[in-house]
Amino acid sequence: MEKIIYTDIAVIGAGPTGIVAAYNLARLGYKVSLFEKEESLGGNILKTYKLFPNFQSSNELLQLFGEMIVVNNLSLQTGVTVTNIRKDNNHWISTTNKGETIVSKAVLMATGFKPFDAHYKEEYGYGIYNGVITSLEFEKMLKCGEIYGSNGITPEKIAILNCVGSRDAKVGNNYCSRVCCINAVKFGIEIKEILPKAEVYCFYMDLRMTGQFYEELYRKSQQEYGVNYIRGKISEASQTADNRIQLKAEDTLLRLPIKMTVDLLILMIGIEASESTKELSAQTGIMGEYGFAKSHSLLKADNHTIHPGLFIAGTCKRPFTYPETVADARAAVVEIQHYLENKT
Amino acid sequence: MIDYFERLSRDVRVKEGLKACMNCGICTAICPAAEFFPYNPKEICNILQTKDNKKIEALLKNETIWYCGQCMSCKARCPRENVPGMLISALRKLSQETGLFVESSKGRQQYAISKTIAESILKSGYCVHAENVKPELHPEQGTVWNWYYNNLEEIADRLGANYKKHGPGSLRLIGKKNLDEINAIFEVTGGKKFLETIHSYSTKKAQEMNLEIDDSLNSPYFIKTYTEDSDQ
Ligand code: SF4
Ligand code: SF4
Ligand code: SF4
Repeated sequence: MEKIIYTDIAVIGAGPTGIVAAYNLARLGYKVSLFEKEESLGGNILKTYKLFPNFQSSNELLQLFGEMIVVNNLSLQTGVTVTNIRKDNNHWISTTNKGETIVSKAVLMATGFKPFDAHYKEEYGYGIYNGVITSLEFEKMLKCGEIYGSNGITPEKIAILNCVGSRDAKVGNNYCSRVCCINAVKFGIEIKEILPKAEVYCFYMDLRMTGQFYEELYRKSQQEYGVNYIRGKISEASQTADNRIQLKAEDTLLRLPIKMTVDLLILMIGIEASESTKELSAQTGIMGEYGFAKSHSLLKADNHTIHPGLFIAGTCKRPFTYPETVADARAAVVEIQHYLENKT
Repeated sequence: MIDYFERLSRDVRVKEGLKACMNCGICTAICPAAEFFPYNPKEICNILQTKDNKKIEALLKNETIWYCGQCMSCKARCPRENVPGMLISALRKLSQETGLFVESSKGRQQYAISKTIAESILKSGYCVHAENVKPELHPEQGTVWNWYYNNLEEIADRLGANYKKHGPGSLRLIGKKNLDEINAIFEVTGGKKFLETIHSYSTKKAQEMNLEIDDSLNSPYFIKTYTEDSDQ
């Protein structure tokens, strides 16, 4: 039998953006239904260990999310995917893969991002050689407290490569993913804390230390931890006879091609529009560049879309850092409140 | 001064190959020429990006533009869709057209190449013919080549070639009709005129260098351009 849910706001996606928005809307007295396609809430935070730049534990944050969703007026469903949204007169109708229909006054898309699939950059040997891993796989290693390289043992030399899947016309992503530079700096420090003797080399094109304390952390990683930075993007990785990883790059500051052999290569994978973001944006005609959802006006109405009542927040719009996405969620709450009270 | 950049920007290889370089170094890291020679493909983009005709002129006179092996690995990898290898071929063309190629030793080899490969195609139909690989000009072939060279006909015969004879088989004689066709292609596509340009600038340079030059593969200027810096 078909189930119909009536609510004020349907929030799609229970990552940081969706949770913070749903929580604050519920506290204002609105009825909120929050949907998450995965079994657990937290979105991409689930895949991390500690967050930059203050090394806050992701678990603490997830715990906080767990506390936030028990607020009055908020109902959360996990393991449910919203597959379709459409407007019907003054209401929005969302349907789920579980056969439910949600009738709401407004919809907030907080469908987030997906990490770039490193297989597309075949020249780095991801999925081909042992010891070539993504930044998210490295987070997993950190969670387990054990770092191992291509030979399954503690690495002596580790390379970090920035901009994998970002700033790269060859994979169709010309934009910068915003979070990976500082995340690489964080990794450098985390490696040195666990393996003080390991040599760490971060290959970058530009180090974008744009947030508060980022520059300080970068400096600290050099001065106190001895992380090395080489300006040049790795062109390819290959396997050596003894199962290590050989890298080719140019040290563009010395203007010399270099070869380096390491035990572990960490690819700092970028941010792409998630499947849900692409799917729902396409259905509603709000898809912008690179599959991200497009706001009505970047400077004036960045949580609105061309459709009254359909709102967007967080990384479904573009790459954001954690504080930025949460700030955007709060901004969306105000816009939705104005809309529901006919103030806009 | 000639507006070199303007001329280059009309070349389709520059239109396609110069977008906006962000100096990531990927092309240099992958470039086989950069591994062995004082050559850096990234710098080619950088110089062209400045549109500075003085710098471009220096490039046209320099050895730098003659090291690239045209493998196009840079095309496959550049994250900004530049193609240094294509810029190089446009620069070489401009260097040939403006005569600036004679100012560098690698550039002067244009003469040697035109006299051997280009003329060999026109005369024999083969771009490289064993006859033209003279032992005294090719020490890298080793002493045994001397013997091969002096007994080419017999050896070719033993290897089953149809050396310089009519009919099918490798190293066969290319008939007049086919040679006329090849020559006609060079004529209408501008190849002949191009060779004349190379020869006329080279003749001037030979005079400047006080070296004799004639139509043969024995003139002092030919030998000079063929062997100069060949151990570098
Ligand atoms: S944040 Fe840094 S690593 Fe990430 S895409 Fe931008 S420049 Fe590259
Ligand atoms: S085409 Fe030339 S510049 Fe490009 S990688 Fe090959 S040798 Fe280097
Ligand atoms: S790969 Fe492309 S962007 Fe990078 S240095 Fe070479 S030409 Fe410039």
